[in-house]
Amino acid sequence: MTRHMAMAATVAMLWALALPAFAQATKGAQPKAAPAAASSAKVYAERYAALCAACHGADGRSEMQGVPSLAGQHSFYAITQLFLFREGRRANEAMTAVARTMKDEDLRGFSDFIATLPALAPAAAAAPPDAARMARGQALAQENRCVICHGADLSGGQQVPRIAHQREEYLALTLQEFRTGKRPGYTQAMGEAVGRMAPEDLDTLAYYVARLPTAPPRPGGK
Amino acid sequence: MARLRPHSMSAVLATLATSLLLAAGAAWAQQPPTEEPGWAKGRPKNDAATRLAPVPSFPIPTAADQLPTARFKLPPGFKVETWASGVLDARSLRQGAKGTVFVSTLFVGNKVYAIAEKGDRKPKTIVDKTEFATGIEFHKGALYLATHKQIQRYDGIEDKLDNPGQPAVIYDKLPGGQDHSWRYLRIRDEKLYYAVGAPCNLCEPDDAHARIFRMNLDGSGIETIARGVRNTVGFDFDPKTGNLWFTDNGRDWLSEDLPNDELNVVTKADQHFGYPYCHQGNILDSEFGWGKSCADYAEPAALLGPHAAALGMTFYQGKMFPAKYRGAMFIARHGPWNRTTRYADIAVAWPDGKGGAKVEPFMTGFVDNNTYLGRPVDFLVLKDGSMLVSDDHAGAIYRISYGGK
Repeated sequence: MTRHMAMAATVAMLWALALPAFAQATKGAQPKAAPAAASSAKVYAERYAALCAACHGADGRSEMQGVPSLAGQHSFYAITQLFLFREGRRANEAMTAVARTMKDEDLRGFSDFIATLPALAPAAAAAPPDAARMARGQALAQENRCVICHGADLSGGQQVPRIAHQREEYLALTLQEFRTGKRPGYTQAMGEAVGRMAPEDLDTLAYYVARLPTAPPRPGGK
Repeated sequence: MARLRPHSMSAVLATLATSLLLAAGAAWAQQPPTEEPGWAKGRPKNDAATRLAPVPSFPIPTAADQLPTARFKLPPGFKVETWASGVLDARSLRQGAKGTVFVSTLFVGNKVYAIAEKGDRKPKTIVDKTEFATGIEFHKGALYLATHKQIQRYDGIEDKLDNPGQPAVIYDKLPGGQDHSWRYLRIRDEKLYYAVGAPCNLCEPDDAHARIFRMNLDGSGIETIARGVRNTVGFDFDPKTGNLWFTDNGRDWLSEDLPNDELNVVTKADQHFGYPYCHQGNILDSEFGWGKSCADYAEPAALLGPHAAALGMTFYQGKMFPAKYRGAMFIARHGPWNRTTRYADIAVAWPDGKGGAKVEPFMTGFVDNNTYLGRPVDFLVLKDGSMLVSDDHAGAIYRISYGGK
C-alpha cells in the first residue's frame, strides 16, 4: 500500500529526527510522577510536536486523509488505541511502528497530552449541509443509541471517543470497518452497535457527525 | 409489534406498569446492592457520567501502591491484602496440583498467566496472543483453556511453564462471535461444564446458544444442562446436593433498575431459565414475552441487583473462615456499565434448602465517587482456606483471610 508505506517512511524519519531531542528531554524527566508532572507534560508536548504533529496536526486537527484529528480526544480513549497499536491488534503499519517503541509511561504521557488539545470547531464548510441528510443522520444516531455512549453532543468521555466533527472520510471508514469486524475495538461495543446497520446508513452517520451543529466546543476531557 | 387500539393499549400499559412496580418492590426488598443504589439518590450532575458504555479494563494495571486494597471493608475478623499486582486483565483463577495459580484474561490481555504461590508473584505469560482466553480449569495435570471458538488442553502444564507447547484441541466448534462468547469452565465427575451465551442483548437463541452444556473430556457426548441462560460467567456445584448453581446476567436497556441479575440452581434435567421470554422470574419480556407465562420457567433462587454483572462464584469448602461460611457461595458482582450509578462488591449467599438463597454483601469498597477502583471477577480458595479474588479492572489479585493468618 503506497500511502501506508509513505506514511510509515515519514513517521520513521520523524522518529529518527525526534530521538536526539527526546534523549535530551529525558535527562530531565524522572520516572516518579508527581513533582515532575509539569516537566513530563512539557516532554510529551515536545515529543508530540516532533513525532505526531506532521500527520495529526500541531493543534490536533488532521488535514490528511486516513488520519484522524485528535483535538479534544479523551486520554482514556487515546491510551486504549495506543495500546491496541502497540499490541499490533489494530492494523496500521505507521501507528504500530510508532507505538511499539512506547513504554507504559509513554502511553500515559502521550494520551494525557492529547487530552490537553482543545476540541476545535469544525472547519468552515463550502456549502451548508444537506438538511434532509442531516435529519436522517440525527434519526439514525438516536435509533442506534449512538448518543447513549457518545452523548447528545457526541463528545464522548472517558473510554468513549469524541466523534463530533471528526473527518468525515475517517468516520466513514471506521464505521464500515467496525461493521465488517476489520477494526477491532477495545471493547465489543462498536461491533455490536453497527454490526447490523446498512452501509449506506453508516455513510449518512459519518456525514452527520462530521457536520454536527453544536454550541461552542468544550475543552478536551479526562 | 401489533398495534393496539387506544383504550386497550392504556389498560395494557397500566397492568404492565403495576406489575413492574410490584416486581421492582419485591426485587429490592429481597436484594439491595451494597453500594447506595441509583434509585435512592439523584443522578450525578456531570453529564459525562450518564454516557453509558462498557467499561473496559485499563490497558495498564494499577500500580501496587495505588490499589484500593486498604479501602476494602469486610466483616469483623477478616482481612484482605494484595496477593499479586501487575496482572493485566486478571479474570478466572484456577490452581494446579503443584500450587501454580493460573489466571485467564478477556478483552485486553489475550493471555493466560501462571503465578507461583511463593516468591515475588510476578505473572508469567504461558499462553499469548489468544483472543478470549477466558475459560480455564485444571484437572489431572492438565490446563484446560476455552476460547470463544475452541476448547484446548495443555498436558503436564506445571512442568512445562517455560514451554507449554501446542495444546491438544478437544473441541473446535464453539460458535465464536463477540457477544457473550467468553467461557467459564468447571470439571466434575470427568465431565467438562461450559456455557454459550446469547449472541445479542435480546434475541431468540438457537440450540447452540443461551445454554449451559457439558461434554466428556475428549469433546464427545455434548449434553444440554440448562436452557434460557442469557450469559453465565460463573457456576459451581453445591457440595451438599451436587446441584449446579450459576449466576446469569440479565438483559440491557429495559430500565436502570430492571431486570436483576439472577442466581439460579439446576435441580433437574431440561430446565429453562426464562431468557428471552421471562426475566428474573417475574417480568415477561416486552418483545418476546407475548403469549408466554413466567410460571413456565425456572425461578431464580435469588436476585443479585440490576446490571450487577454477577460473574465468578465458588462454594467455600475451606477450614479457615468461620463455620457459618462453609457451604456458602461467594459471588463476584463486577458492576454495571449500563447504569448511571455504579456498584460492585463480593457477595456471599447461602442455599436455603428450598431452592432459594439468602444473599448478603461480604466485601465492599470497589466503587468511590461513582468510579470503579476495582471490579471483582473470580475466586480461588487456597489449601490454607484463604481465598484469592481476581480484579480485571485494577489488574490485581487479592487474598482474603480470617483470624490473623
